[in-house]
Amino acid sequence: MKDIARQSLSIKVECMDLLNNQIKKEAHASATYLAMASWCDQNGFFTGAKFFYKQAEEEREHMMKIFQFVIDAGGNALSPEISGIPHEYSSIVDIFENALDHEISVTKSIHNIVMKARELGDLATEKFLDWFVLEQVEEENTIRDILDMIELTGIEGVGLQIIDGKINDWID
Amino acid sequence: MEAVFSSKYYTFFQSDKERCFYIDFGQKVVRLSFCQLLALRQKVSNIRIEDHFDAELNTHGFEILALCNKEHLFVLNTLEIIDLKELLVGAFSMFEVSLSALV
Ligand SMILES: [Fe+2]
Ligand SMILES: [Fe+2]
Repeated sequence: MKDIARQSLSIKVECMDLLNNQIKKEAHASATYLAMASWCDQNGFFTGAKFFYKQAEEEREHMMKIFQFVIDAGGNALSPEISGIPHEYSSIVDIFENALDHEISVTKSIHNIVMKARELGDLATEKFLDWFVLEQVEEENTIRDILDMIELTGIEGVGLQIIDGKINDWID
Repeated sequence: MEAVFSSKYYTFFQSDKERCFYIDFGQKVVRLSFCQLLALRQKVSNIRIEDHFDAELNTHGFEILALCNKEHLFVLNTLEIIDLKELLVGAFSMFEVSLSALV
């Protein structure tokens, strides 16, 4: 018997499932950042809004990168359904703390796929995810740095305006 | 055509010559390309069997399954869905077995 399944699909089917799940996660991240941009805009954090618009776009690029990989591997890439995007935040600190938690959960999910790929000997998926593993370190670091900056600046007096202006340092 | 896996109601076949798969549903035999097979697997694994035991989520305990870009339409009951899930899990695990046998 020929291995038609293997001839049609270059990655493990379990990895394909996890990658489809990751597509959903990146789409969810993109939508979450868009909601954060909206909050920032409505609350006078215009640079913050700009930062999150850009993050939202980047997350969509991540999503498309995985989507394309699943297609290239011969898999069934699924357009994600997303729901449950929170729009309410109590402060700019709350926003960035949530953003950091969100990034950490994305990191965990990527690591989980890498471990699964390794267990199954799916080298293509494992290598593909190398970029994402390093990207997550950068993403977490960016948000941690902004949280440090917010703490150093303080929210008293003109603190909030200074904070918003300084966010520009993380928009390239 | 070679039988790859059988569940209680259904049988899964592979045709090396045509490079495709067949599922014998009893009343009908359906031909599937690998892509169509992946789509079916996705659809069936998305069916929450728990909903069949909830009078509000699934009142009648049936699933309507459109296959191969709506070429076929099946109405399956709870037991048939459970069996179809088993068939697909079984078929995909057979792929793994045959792959490791080749290595
Ligand atoms: Fe991402
Ligand atoms: Fe991210």
